[in-house]
Amino acid sequence: MANITIEGLCKGWDFPVIDDLSVEIEEGEFFVVVGPSGIGKTTLLRLIAGLESADRGRILLGEREVTHLPPYRRRVAMTFESYALYPHLTVFENISSPLRARKKDRATIERRVKAVAQLLRIDHLLDRKPGQVSGGQKQRTALGRTLVADPEVFLLDEPISHLDAKIRQDLRMQFHTLEELRRVATLYVTHDYAEALSLGDRIGVMGNGGKLVQIGSARELFERPKALFVAEHLGQPTINAIPSILQEENGSLFACAENAALRLALSPQQSQRLNGGAKRRIVLGLRPQHVRPADELRGRDSEIDAQIDIFEALGSNGIIITKAGGVTITGLTHPERHFEPGQDLRLAIDTEALHIFDAETGLSLLEEPRWQG
Amino acid sequence: MAATADIAQANTQAAQTAERWRAVRYLFLIFLGFWLLFTLFPLYFMAITAFKSAAETNLTQPTFWPQEWFPENFVGVFAEPTNFSALVDSFIIATGNTLLSLLLGSLAGYAFARFPRQAGGENMAFWMLSNRMFPPVAILVPMFFLFDNTPWGTDSHISLIILYLVFNLPLATWLMMVFFRDVPHELEEAAYLDGWKPLRAFVKVTLPLVLPGMISVAMLCWIFAWNEYLFANLFVGSDVRTYTIVIPTFTHGSQTLWNLQMAFSLIAMIPPVVLFIVLRRYMVRGLSLGVVKG
Repeated sequence: MANITIEGLCKGWDFPVIDDLSVEIEEGEFFVVVGPSGIGKTTLLRLIAGLESADRGRILLGEREVTHLPPYRRRVAMTFESYALYPHLTVFENISSPLRARKKDRATIERRVKAVAQLLRIDHLLDRKPGQVSGGQKQRTALGRTLVADPEVFLLDEPISHLDAKIRQDLRMQFHTLEELRRVATLYVTHDYAEALSLGDRIGVMGNGGKLVQIGSARELFERPKALFVAEHLGQPTINAIPSILQEENGSLFACAENAALRLALSPQQSQRLNGGAKRRIVLGLRPQHVRPADELRGRDSEIDAQIDIFEALGSNGIIITKAGGVTITGLTHPERHFEPGQDLRLAIDTEALHIFDAETGLSLLEEPRWQG
Repeated sequence: MAATADIAQANTQAAQTAERWRAVRYLFLIFLGFWLLFTLFPLYFMAITAFKSAAETNLTQPTFWPQEWFPENFVGVFAEPTNFSALVDSFIIATGNTLLSLLLGSLAGYAFARFPRQAGGENMAFWMLSNRMFPPVAILVPMFFLFDNTPWGTDSHISLIILYLVFNLPLATWLMMVFFRDVPHELEEAAYLDGWKPLRAFVKVTLPLVLPGMISVAMLCWIFAWNEYLFANLFVGSDVRTYTIVIPTFTHGSQTLWNLQMAFSLIAMIPPVVLFIVLRRYMVRGLSLGVVKG
């Protein structure tokens, strides 16, 4: 049982993949790294597991530096995205592999494998080969092999991404309740923001250049993204990102969409944060849930005229994609309502919830610019 | 009415097509039958000749069934005691060469599969394979002088065991490379994380997965070394004799003892045939390893 401490970790081949990454994951913490495919999430796991060697930086498990130790000396357990089950061995032999490698006696192996298999509800499959079980069961076998190892650190690489929606939901619930995972430091990698928000005690959003752009709780990341990248990556439908220019009129600030007629007044607090800055180029971040037909959202909102482009009624909400002043804006509505393409409507926008990012750096202008929280 | 006529016509056409295909199928079967006869006849003739008397083998009108059975031929071939030891020598050389080819070929194949850049890349692997492309006669004489200068000389088991690596090692390396490539590296990595050291991981995970392929490679190597004649004829002969250079000794100046020659050949066929039958299951799986991916 130990913390994972990563200091200034660098790894690259022809180009840097992980660049000066530092993070500390506490014992018992479930830390999720989320980011688009190919950004270096798996590389990070492989570095911690010892399957890749770091170019620079240190990795510590507890007090012990493991940066240059081979994988079999690290006491790290990892599930692979491809599951990497041994096809010639049975489910039982697959799960017991870490115990056999550590020369446990037969009774212990039997007992612990049975316990883990029961927990994962695959105890009836122990005699089968991986080729004879379903995708979800393969995944649970791989997870079983990881859990049984009793390691200092769990590394889970997209463990449920390739499964059917329903099984994925089941397993996600299981991740919440698995005692084993909650006892030691767990690093969980996914590209699915919903998984990340649902599972992570803390979440790190990995961005271009292999940096953790922002680390925080689900709420923090969702409500106070420090960068446009974070805001765009979390949330479905994706946040509206509107390139705009700040303009000052009669002492208050307006955001005017570039090359379009859209114009939104900013609140006094926002104006204060921006500290003048007229003529500045920004990107306006507007979550779809803060854009609704005017008759659904009332109060201090700004209202604009818009025209329906596409309406999608999904079970729990409806998505309206509209054109407003030459800008495409996605908003939400009640699923039972109906809109025709081309229909005019008034949109209400909750300007209090606006995010404002610098057009050059992509960093939030409302939040303090602090990297690698 | 027109529609009915159309249907009737279509039916006749379909029937004609089916008829034609059936004819093609029969023609093909007949062809295959002839082919089978063509390939099996020499084996058959060898087998019955082995049981004929010497006089019967020399008839101007060949017989296709022995007039009189002479199983004694199978004892007669061993009248010369070195004939039996030739089979043993062949066995030693074939087996020794196979084990060495497998060991070195697996190591090299593994390196080419897992560390292509460090091992010299695809070109290096292909260069090794290309060593099988030149006519063996081209190196016959140089190899003789080369081995003549080694402490064990040319007339020894070890010389042929090493020499046959020229042909078997490229084959073993290339095939093992293909088989190793089919084993995902992640399986080995998973084994490392389970706590197995690299050699143990190799034995526990990689080896069982390439075993069918390895057995196929072993068979190919063994049969090549067992049947090799050209080099054996030049290299060995007094201290060591392979069975392939014994077969011509049944031909004397004035006559050929066909019955003994065929009996000896038949005996020499037994080990590879037994090997094939015992390992057939692996052989088929091994040869399809690289083709069908799970």
